Formats: sequence, structure tokens, C-alpha cells
Amino acid sequence: MSEIRISGGAIHDPANGVDGEVRDLCISGGRIVAEVGADARRIDAHGMVVMPGGVDIHAHIAGPKANLARRLSPETRGTESEQRKRILRSGSGGLVPSTFATGYRYSLLGYTTVIEAAAPALAARHVLAELRDTPMIDKAFLILMGNNQVLMELIRESGGAVSPQLRDAVGWWLAATGGYGVKLVNPGGVEVFKQAGGDVDGLDDQVPGHDVTPRQILEAIAGAVHELGLPHPVHVHCNDLGVPGNASTTLATMEALSGRRAHLAHLQFHAYGGRPDPPSLPRSRAPELLAYLNDRKELTCDVGQVMFGDAMTMTADGHVSAVLRDLDGGKWVNHDTEVETGCGIVPFTYRAPNYVHALQWAIGLELFLLGSDPWQVMLSTDHPNGGSFRSYPKLIRLLMDRAYRDDQIARANRKAIGRTALTDGIDREYTLNEVAIITRAAPARRLGLRDKGHLGVGADADVTIYHDRPDDREEMFATPRYVIKGGELVVEEGELRRVDDGLLLSCDAAFDADIDDVLAPMFADRYTVSFAHYPVRDPALREPATIVRATP
Amino acid sequence: MPESLVCAGCSLLCDDVAVAGGRFEPECPLGAEWYAACVASDDGIDATVDGEPGGIDHALARAAELLRRGRRPLVYGFVGATIEDARAAVALADRLGAIVAAGGAGALGGPWPGAPAFPLRGSTSATLGESRDRSELVVIWREDPESTHPRLLGRLGLGGSNRRLAVVDDRDTATARLADTRLDWPRERDGEALAALHLLARGGERDRQAGELRERLQPLWRRLDPVAHATFVYGAALAGGAGGQRRALALQELARELSHGRHVVTLSLADAPGIRGADDVLTWQTGYSGTVDLGSGHPELVTATTPVVEHERVDVALRVEDARATPDDVAVIALSSRPGAGTPAVWIRTAPAGVGAGGTMHRLDGVPLALRPPQPSVAPSAAELLQRLHETIWR
Repeated sequence: MSEIRISGGAIHDPANGVDGEVRDLCISGGRIVAEVGADARRIDAHGMVVMPGGVDIHAHIAGPKANLARRLSPETRGTESEQRKRILRSGSGGLVPSTFATGYRYSLLGYTTVIEAAAPALAARHVLAELRDTPMIDKAFLILMGNNQVLMELIRESGGAVSPQLRDAVGWWLAATGGYGVKLVNPGGVEVFKQAGGDVDGLDDQVPGHDVTPRQILEAIAGAVHELGLPHPVHVHCNDLGVPGNASTTLATMEALSGRRAHLAHLQFHAYGGRPDPPSLPRSRAPELLAYLNDRKELTCDVGQVMFGDAMTMTADGHVSAVLRDLDGGKWVNHDTEVETGCGIVPFTYRAPNYVHALQWAIGLELFLLGSDPWQVMLSTDHPNGGSFRSYPKLIRLLMDRAYRDDQIARANRKAIGRTALTDGIDREYTLNEVAIITRAAPARRLGLRDKGHLGVGADADVTIYHDRPDDREEMFATPRYVIKGGELVVEEGELRRVDDGLLLSCDAAFDADIDDVLAPMFADRYTVSFAHYPVRDPALREPATIVRATP
Repeated sequence: MPESLVCAGCSLLCDDVAVAGGRFEPECPLGAEWYAACVASDDGIDATVDGEPGGIDHALARAAELLRRGRRPLVYGFVGATIEDARAAVALADRLGAIVAAGGAGALGGPWPGAPAFPLRGSTSATLGESRDRSELVVIWREDPESTHPRLLGRLGLGGSNRRLAVVDDRDTATARLADTRLDWPRERDGEALAALHLLARGGERDRQAGELRERLQPLWRRLDPVAHATFVYGAALAGGAGGQRRALALQELARELSHGRHVVTLSLADAPGIRGADDVLTWQTGYSGTVDLGSGHPELVTATTPVVEHERVDVALRVEDARATPDDVAVIALSSRPGAGTPAVWIRTAPAGVGAGGTMHRLDGVPLALRPPQPSVAPSAAELLQRLHETIWR
């Protein structure tokens, strides 16, 4: 592996308290080191900004649902195709690019780690195969467990408590799939939708046929994740996504989780005031959620910012997609996975003049701009639900450049803006260090990736170097000057120079292997795949991987 | 107890199969035939060049020469291919600038029934267990899974007390004879029936139905109307051929309309076990499903209605794990456990997936399954051969 000296750049490494200090950064053997030899390659970074590689804590890039979305939208795919080159595979673009194109494009934005935030365990083999075809980035996936009938049965048996069996079952599922962490999507609600349409109502509704409530699922699985000591806490897509008044459910969820570490996904979609029935126009309750969050440092969120323009909504929360289907009348995919989860896909366009869309956009910005602790509020568009990951540079500009933001606000629905804090004007402009926090340092820390998201000695040498462009932060973050992945220069001046396969990130939680005796008969009753065939064992899919240890 | 085997005799990929004392269990004629063919194929010559036996290296060299010389290569087949085979095939096609056809060398019908209609409106579907555990009614539209997917009805839980089977067909098939409700309906009026059911599902417009049509559909509608969960099973008889895309679309529109106040899903009966997975690979690697042209250096969807060999003037074809007919006037390189139809310019024997070689296949409902070969073969898998072919062409 090569040695590199990055010379004279302004280092933004908030995890180590470094804020723009101009100094050299050394790389050897794929790691950040204190010093390198005289023969090391020198990268002149004078006048440039040096940050750790970007870490996307919540995106949807691989697996059956991403592939159904590709299949659903061939008409969007021809834009900006990737041309086959000597070292590069060809690919296609659109909101859900082909796998190779996804890896290349993340890399060209300076991202080096991405989390697929919702994978059905039954499809883990498919998810892994796609991730193996997604180069340039290290990647992990979260396993959907919030509507798993086996886990619901174990929760029912324990009366909602965290039983050793539940804890071992959660550990078993991660080991069986290669998953990195646990995702809950509309706990209990997806199961209700799959039964006959419909949804649960709040946290204390019984899930028919299972005799548990969303609250019990939430508390028990969050507790199991905590007891297992997984590197990433439970990752929650709350109940009632998109419903006017859902901020009450979100607050109740945060209360139910309080005292335990948890990450709330795409909080923007869960921050609405108003009445659900009959539905009223939503309004913002982002400030309330932020106030609650601020008092509970064990909780974090990503925003799920919507960006005006085309999006592809894709979610395990099939009920939400059915609602969008009826709103829009356009394309709709529903796919139910036995025992475990659902899936809905609807192409969608967010329009600035539309009240609801503008409110969603403004709520996202409120979450970013009114929050007092950037370590708790991380950048995401819930790619591609709120917009493509390729819109991150524009989103960063909205946060860093008030004049630009005011110009964009003036184009949005005035009534919606008038019902948010944006109407009074918010002076705040993110600093480069704050951007480094929300795009790399905080996500890496929250994921328990100790070697990522910072530039201290021993860290993975994932580094992004930008031209400092105060006049155009969008352009700056869209076209890094250099990207270094695992100690090798992979991007230079907007061109991919070297292909890196990227590593799978897995975790190894300890669990009692006797849980097999509990799970095997439950599988036989429920699945159409045998217990023996369910775990993914193939080295070609599971390796190479970085194994992150759980610490109970 | 030895691990059960995954049967690749059809796209159901049953994973509870055992072969002991020469008996294939649970009983399945297609599975037993598949297993016997795999075992029989895993012996004999390694390769042929222009019909003459030869070694693998010689055959690879000839295949490489043909592909280097070819102006318009096609990669197709995938009937018995694994995900690993398909990943290697699409990688090679990308480098060659070839056309990849996941649905065979023809153009009509798409890689699996309903695929051409999918991008127009989407679909509602589920894995087998969802239908088995929730559907009160299974409607099989003009398919005979008792012959083509012999264990399907059992795997959908039919025969139990609370599930009913309805069959729409005008043939006296083995499946139709098991139905609780039979709708004797001609194929040429499928679209009309689906549209009429759609109107019934919309409720308020029932009076617009012509009396005779409504009368004939009533037995099916009476079964369908009160259920909370239903599954429609369909295949090439509905979704293939001229007008197939329109009929598949009509079925999805019906399922969509019915999915208000109840949950309705569809299940497409792919025939070959490898094609669903190969199309999944093609989709994630290129972004497109079906037939994709990589000739201009980036993926482009091919939507021709004439067979791709004619339309694209293909002059050399790489046939992966497929024993079906070879297009005329095209030099064919076949990688498969049996030589198959015609006389390929090059044939290299592969280990039969599922018996001689491992890998992953995607079941007809998309569920990925690992093959557990009980008799690992000395013959290479198609994926291994494709990798060697890649190295031979560009060494």
C-alpha cells in the first residue's frame, strides 16, 4: 500500500477537536499515521479543506426493493449513464442507479461508507450480492425486525420484557445474515397492513393475531439491542410516517426509548402537527421534537430532508406506499415478505408550490437549523425517498449559505413557510466543522465505527479533500479534488482513478447457540424456507468484511 | 441427518428435498426428472469444438476467438444459471459490449411473465409464505401448476380447510379439476373478464356490466368479494404472446383496485429456475430488466418486438446454462451441463447447478436460496468458465 502526505490542507476533524487547523496529514498501510517516509507521495492541499470520508447513515441502495425500483423506472435510467472504461463497469443513473454506478457516484461525492438501512433478513443473500457489486464504498445493512412474527411471539411470551431468548434471537439473526444492526419500521403496523390493509393506531394498539403492541416491540427489541451491546443502537422508523399529527407518536416513541440509545430515522417525516382524522393540513412540530432530543443525548436522528424534484419513495412500510398510491394514482409496487416485513415503492415528485411538500422541505431545514447539537442531527435525504444522495451538495449549500437558502425559501409555498420558523429568517449558517459532523463524524460515531469519521492516528485512511469554495458550497461538495479510500487515491479532479471493492461491515454479537432449538420449530411453522437453508454462509458473500465487536 | 437439497427442477426451488435409495422425496415428477438428468449429465466428455470432443482449454481458446471476432455478440440463456453465473456473464458482456437477454434469444414475453407490464404500473406480490398463511382464496388464471410446478398448491396451503382455489381456464387441466370454483373462460376473452372484474371491484359501476358477462363472472366474484386476502397466480398463458402485456396490466389493475379494504397479491409463474435471478442480476448491474444492449459502452434497454438475434444482427452467441434451441446462422458457444439443441460451435460441460455445483438461485417469488450440491462435480461451474473465458480473451 502506498504512503501519502497530504500537505498544507485545512483539517476539519471534529471528532478530534480539530477545526480548520492547517497541517499535514500522513497515510500509510491504509491508516492515518503520525509520519511517513520522504518517499511518500505528496498531495498539495494548500487552500483546500480536508475531511474524513463521508459516512451515510441511512440510505437505500441495495436489495430487492432497490432492484424493483430500478425495474419500475427504466425511463429515468438513461440520464447520465456510466460509460464503460478500462477500469470501470458501465451503469445507468436515475434515482436508483445500478450498483456499480451507485458506488462510483458516492465516491465522486467524497463518501466512503454507506449504510443500507432496511434489508429483509430473508433476502440477505440478495442484499449481499448487490453490495458485492457496489464498489468504492464500505457498506453495511440493517435487518428489519419490527414486524418479525417470530420475535413478536417471543415478546408476547415474555410479556414485553427483554427475555434472554429474544436477545439471543436478535443476535442469531444478525449472525445468520451478516447484518450490522437492527431496524424497526412501523413496529407492528406493517404486519397489520399485510393482513388486510390498514395500520396500527399509536403505540398501544394491539397487533391482531400476535397479542403485542408497537410499544412492546419497540421497548423489547431496543432492550435486546442494548443488552447485546451492538455497535449501532436500534434504528427506528417510527409509526405513523407522514400522517398529520404524527409528532405525538414520535414523542411517545422517544419517551418509550428514553434511557436507551436509539437512532430515529428520517425525523422530518415524523415531525408533523395537525389532525390525522379527518386529516387536516399538517404543520411543523420540529421545534418540540428538537427540544426533547436536546435533553436526551442518548437519542440521535437523521433528517430525511426532501429536495424539490423527483424522488423514489421506497419503504418497508407498505401502508405508506398504499396511501401515496391513492394520492398519486401512478405506479405502485407492493411486495410482502413472509414472517418479516413489507415493501412499497411509489415514484414521487416534491414540488415547491405544493403546501405539504414545501412544509416537508421546511421542516427538514428546521431540524438542521434549530437543533443545538449537530452530533444528534445527521444529514440524510433517506435516499431516494426525499431525493437522491446526489443532492447532498445542494443540501449542504442550503445549510451553509443563508442568501442561497433565502432565495430558495422565496420559491416555496408561502403558506407552508409561514407556518415554520423559516418565516422569521434563521441566521444560522453551518460551519465546515458542523458539516463535517453531520456528514461523517456523527454518523460514524453513532454507527460505532471507531476507525471511521475521524482523522486521528490509527483511523481508516478514508479522506476527502475539497477546494475551499465559500462562494459556491454546492460546487465544492459536488466535486472533491481528491478522495482517498483505504489509503489509496481513488478520485482525482472528478475522475475515478482506481477501483476499490470496499468492505462489508458486520458485527459479531455473542448469543447462546441453543437458541437454534427455540427458533427451528418456529421457522418450520412460519417460513417456506427451511431453518437449515436460511443462514448465509458463503464466504464469497460474507468476506472480506470488517467485523465490529459488540460490547455488552 | 444430511442437509436437504434445493431442487432446481422448476422455479419453486423446493428446499426440503432428499434423495435416498434412489427415491426423490417429497414425490415430484419434475424434480425427479431434473435430478436424474443432472446426475446423468455429470459424466462424459468435457467439451466439443465443431462437434468434435476436445479439452476445455482448447474449447475456451476457440470460444475466445469467436467472441473476439464477433461484431454483435449476444449473451443469453440462464435457464439453469445461478446468480454467480449471471454476475460473471453480465460482467463479460459488459467488457465485450454484448447484448444480454435474460429472457432467451427471442424478444416477446420478457424474462418472466408480467415483466414487460411491470414498468408501466408496477405490481403487488408476495413471497409464498404470505399467500399460504393469509390468502383465503387463490385464483389461478390459465395455468396448470399441477403439471408445471407440481408442489405449488401444497406450498400455498391449498387443500386446507379455510383456503379456496378458483381456476379460470377453458381446459380440463389437472389443476382445474382440484378447483373449488371453475370459471370456464376462453383465452381470447381474458382481457374482457379482467376489466369486468375490475368494474365489479369498483362497486358503484356494476350496473354498467353487460348482463351475460356479469352473470358468468358471478361465481368467481362471489368468492373474491368477501375475502380479506387473496392471491392471483398467472403465467405466460395470460401474460405472454400478442396482447400479453395488456392482459398482465389488466390483472395488476384489478389487484390494485381490490387492494382497498383488503390485501391482494399476485404470483408470476416463471418456468425456468434460473431466469428470475439472472434478470435480477442484469437489473442491478445495468439498471434494466429483460434485454440490454451494452454495445455502445453503456446499458441501453432493447424493446424490439422481433427476436433479438434478427433485430440486432447477432453473429455470435454465448449461451449460458440453457439447452434450448440455437438461433440459426449464429455461431453458438454453449456453457451447460448438456450440449442441448443444435450443434454449438463450442460446448463446454458445466457442473449442473444444484447437484454438481453450488451457488444461489432466486425463487419465483424472489427469495434467494443457496444450492447445496450433494455430489460436487469435477466439472467447472458456468461462473468459473466465464471467468476463464474472460481471462482467455484479454490475456
